[in-house]
Amino acid sequence: MLQYFDPRQCSNPEIDYGTPSAQGVLVSLTIDGRTIEVPEGTSIMRAAMLAEIKIPKLCATDSLEAFGSCRLCLVQIEGRRGLPSSCTTPVEQGLVVQTYNPRLALVRRNVMELYISDHPLDCLTCPANGNCELQDVAGEVGLRAVRYGFEGENHLAAERDTSHPYFSFDASKCIVCSRCVRACEEVQGTFALTIDGRGFDSKVAAGQDESFFDSDCVSCGACVQACPTATLMEKTVIEQGQPEHSVITTCAYCGVGCAFKAELKGDQVVRMVPYKGGAANQGHSCVKGRFAFGYATHKERVTTPMIRDSIDASWQKVSWDEATTFAANRIRQIQQEYGSDSVGGITSSRCTNEETYLVQKLVRAAFGNNNVDTCARVCHSPTGYGLKATLGESAGTQAFDSVEQADVIMVIGANPTDAHPVFASRLKRRLRAGAQLIVADPRRIDLVSGPHVQAGHHLKLLPGTNVALINALAHVIIDEDLQDQRFIDARCDLEAFARWRAFISEPRNAPEALSAALGVPAETLRSAARVYAKAGNAAIYYGLGVTEHSQGSTMVMGIANLAMLTGNLGREGVGVNPLRGQNNVQGACDMGSFPHELPGYRHVSDDQVRQVFEASWGVSIGAEPGLRIPNMLDGAISGTYKGLYCQGEDIAQSDPNTHHVEAALRNLDCLIVQDIFLNETAKYAHVFFPGASFLEKDGTFTNAERRISPVRRVMQPLSGKADWEATMAFSNALGYPMAYQHPSEIMAEIASLTPTFSGVSYQRLDQEGSLQWPCNDAAPSGTPTMHVDQFVRGKGYFERTEFIETEEKVNRRFPFLLTTGRILSQYNVGAQTRRTANIGWHEQDLLEIHPHDAENLGINDLDAVQVASRAGETVLTALITDRVQPGVVYTTFHHPESGANVVTTDNSDWATNCPEYKVTAVHLKKVERPSDWQTEHRAFTETQVSLLTQATKRALDETA
Amino acid sequence: MMDQELTHLIKMTNQIAAHCAPGEPSSVAADRAANHLTRFWAPSMRFQIKGYLLEDGSLLDDIAKDAVSRLA
Ligand code: SF4
Ligand code: SF4
Ligand code: SF4
Ligand code: FES
Repeated sequence: MLQYFDPRQCSNPEIDYGTPSAQGVLVSLTIDGRTIEVPEGTSIMRAAMLAEIKIPKLCATDSLEAFGSCRLCLVQIEGRRGLPSSCTTPVEQGLVVQTYNPRLALVRRNVMELYISDHPLDCLTCPANGNCELQDVAGEVGLRAVRYGFEGENHLAAERDTSHPYFSFDASKCIVCSRCVRACEEVQGTFALTIDGRGFDSKVAAGQDESFFDSDCVSCGACVQACPTATLMEKTVIEQGQPEHSVITTCAYCGVGCAFKAELKGDQVVRMVPYKGGAANQGHSCVKGRFAFGYATHKERVTTPMIRDSIDASWQKVSWDEATTFAANRIRQIQQEYGSDSVGGITSSRCTNEETYLVQKLVRAAFGNNNVDTCARVCHSPTGYGLKATLGESAGTQAFDSVEQADVIMVIGANPTDAHPVFASRLKRRLRAGAQLIVADPRRIDLVSGPHVQAGHHLKLLPGTNVALINALAHVIIDEDLQDQRFIDARCDLEAFARWRAFISEPRNAPEALSAALGVPAETLRSAARVYAKAGNAAIYYGLGVTEHSQGSTMVMGIANLAMLTGNLGREGVGVNPLRGQNNVQGACDMGSFPHELPGYRHVSDDQVRQVFEASWGVSIGAEPGLRIPNMLDGAISGTYKGLYCQGEDIAQSDPNTHHVEAALRNLDCLIVQDIFLNETAKYAHVFFPGASFLEKDGTFTNAERRISPVRRVMQPLSGKADWEATMAFSNALGYPMAYQHPSEIMAEIASLTPTFSGVSYQRLDQEGSLQWPCNDAAPSGTPTMHVDQFVRGKGYFERTEFIETEEKVNRRFPFLLTTGRILSQYNVGAQTRRTANIGWHEQDLLEIHPHDAENLGINDLDAVQVASRAGETVLTALITDRVQPGVVYTTFHHPESGANVVTTDNSDWATNCPEYKVTAVHLKKVERPSDWQTEHRAFTETQVSLLTQATKRALDETA
Repeated sequence: MMDQELTHLIKMTNQIAAHCAPGEPSSVAADRAANHLTRFWAPSMRFQIKGYLLEDGSLLDDIAKDAVSRLA
């Protein structure tokens, strides 16, 4: 007898089982004479597929609940009348099922004939040719003739909707199976599609019968994926034809870390298809990973190493050898003149773990200091600090799967539908199934109220008051005796708890006392706290709205306190979950990118740890922390810091207080930038190492749930070297030899030096698909949930979280608070997404302003508005909306010319220097022209682009 | 005019002193702040702030002063 215990795990991601897996007690049945045991709740269709018996189907696919409309999947069940559809009929103990006999064959052929009579027969020229379920099923049922002719009423002349930049909708090919509609609902949770009309007239419609582009569609691609015909089809496939091979890899955009099948012709990516076997995304995707990969081969890619003596000189294209030697000589000269600590490096959260590891190794071993930092400094460094202090490990506690067990979900300072869309879809699915939602955000994010999703509480707090919020919530829990005392007694440091308890009980931490500062009614706070505490399983998800504050680290500790207080840690459905921004920001932190930590979050002052690395690397490592990014920039301005190796980061655009950053960069004697484009930072560089996109290299990324997933090369690096090879070449030029043949050797070194990674290898990753660290002898298959029996630090530590207001306050001169964020179609500094058709959704960064404020200031939609802070000023275009509250304005920073960071200040988190992006006091004024900075920036950009073009020309002349 | 770097260091030290152990006796807070500076600040930064305390120190808050004076 065939047995299937856990269908999700034993099923093959390449096979469509027709309906989703079920969990339940095993029942056995017989299908076509074969006996099989499957969990209760499984459909007959899926059971048959598990036994390798394929039943024809059209409206069913295993990412969606069964619908039962096409009537092709009929089966005969012994002792039952009629022919039930196998997709909607669940298995039962002892059933005897036949999937094929002459009667079934006849019915199926008749059904198929009806479908085909209203379907164009241009299969040979159809873009789905060779990959069409309708074709396949016609073949399976043995359809040989269509008796109805094509003269009757049909849809063959229906119009095509090509408004969407990435896929087209050809209604003439639609069989109205509604898979697309259901995918948009069930998988994506957007509800953008409907079936309009009834019977013969029914058709698929986007929105209120709008074009796809104008509808609510968020371009996730789930409908395209679900469509069995050519109706919804990627334009790249229409243009290039069906791909001929595929490689499984990981999305390089955000911290969800979706697995994709890159489908190719030769080394050309035809399309990216979300991979059903990917544990993080389970076959879903968002517009960025699914469609916005064209940047990888964009004409503005710089693919040759370049050098120049000063930033006013034109670039010279040179060989890798020349570039690395030039860079190495400059760095060594600087160190001779200004001392060994006058140089440093920045690792990239965009690059692989292996590449990040190599850059910090280069800094520590070849530069000989600890001056290495990473862009996590400006996003999630407080997460590392806060979670390490309270729980003992600098990472989120759960797997994404955990959200499926949550009863209450609290989202703080995060905008998952825009920034972590695939996770947001899973979260919304759980909300539709009945979990409660609490949103704490100054702005009405989409999650607050959407199709079939409604936050029970939206705590619309003022920017800068997070800690007051978390204290008020904790106060209520103690005040109303809602804490999980058993958990606290068993798992936490009781002395610290007693101290914390006395503090949090003080009346000044009561909602009634804090309500005014927060701008949230006390009763709302109390009721939210009750919901969270009484949930059963309550999970917190948070983002940069938590970390990017002067009290970012304190807030992270406050979140951990709240979870410990209510026993919401150490099992599924609960936890403290940072939603990480960039694809490998977790990995970059894990790999020792901080100036005070070696890989695996171990402090450089720990002699034993240092000795292990010293023995392996053959150098001595400093026991003192090095400089962080803001300290490097300060040093550059004061003249003590002179050389920087910056891999895959754009600090000139992404870091706060642009004036300060630009002044610092101009002061460097040697800036080495490694990137795929001439980014903002590269405009100040002396050496440019051309980077490789994620399609051009092997390696691993680690997502927000600590999941290490493979990145696989599908094409040769355009510049001849993957980033790890470039770092190696640079290190060798510096005289510190590195000789890895493949990134797997780098991972082997990481595993040998880092206890939480000791079980990780490329071989294991190939077997398992992905692994969640810690992965070692104690947890050979990785660790989905952390802190199960005890906290990594031993006893959980309640850290006292005093609310101390930020210095960045509104006053008469700067009466508004500016806060910043992201949108779905663009990614971070936008270097990639701006170079794809995604630009159609976001041509510029807008300043959101409340109607009342707009009226008072005489500002209309699309007016130019000057935004001035004490750091600087810029001009943005106004968008009047009540998403923001009066007194608060909001913008994104996806376009460099917006200069949002010209305005942000150098205020930062007290513990980690993470910049306070989320709070800037500003002055607003309607104006007619761009700011001085914008004018200068435009001129500077033009100069730098012309210096690049000259280099290109010169290279052409020389080869001519 | 004081250089920007020192201005930042002073501000950061005051911030650390205020946030590191709020509500604890000032000597405990100073001790924790000093420990924070040792664990997270590069020696060159500690050197500068120590120099500032010796020369002037007027812009450092009390706990911050105490913390800096405890640095090795
Ligand atoms: S692309 Fe996604 S959001 Fe748009 S219609 Fe299809 S499923 Fe819905
Ligand atoms: S567009 Fe495709 S998925 Fe949607 S109803 Fe038509 S055939 Fe089915
Ligand atoms: S959710 Fe993130 S990882 Fe997934 S496809 Fe979108 S950008 Fe890529
Ligand atoms: S596949 Fe079962 S009714 Fe369509």
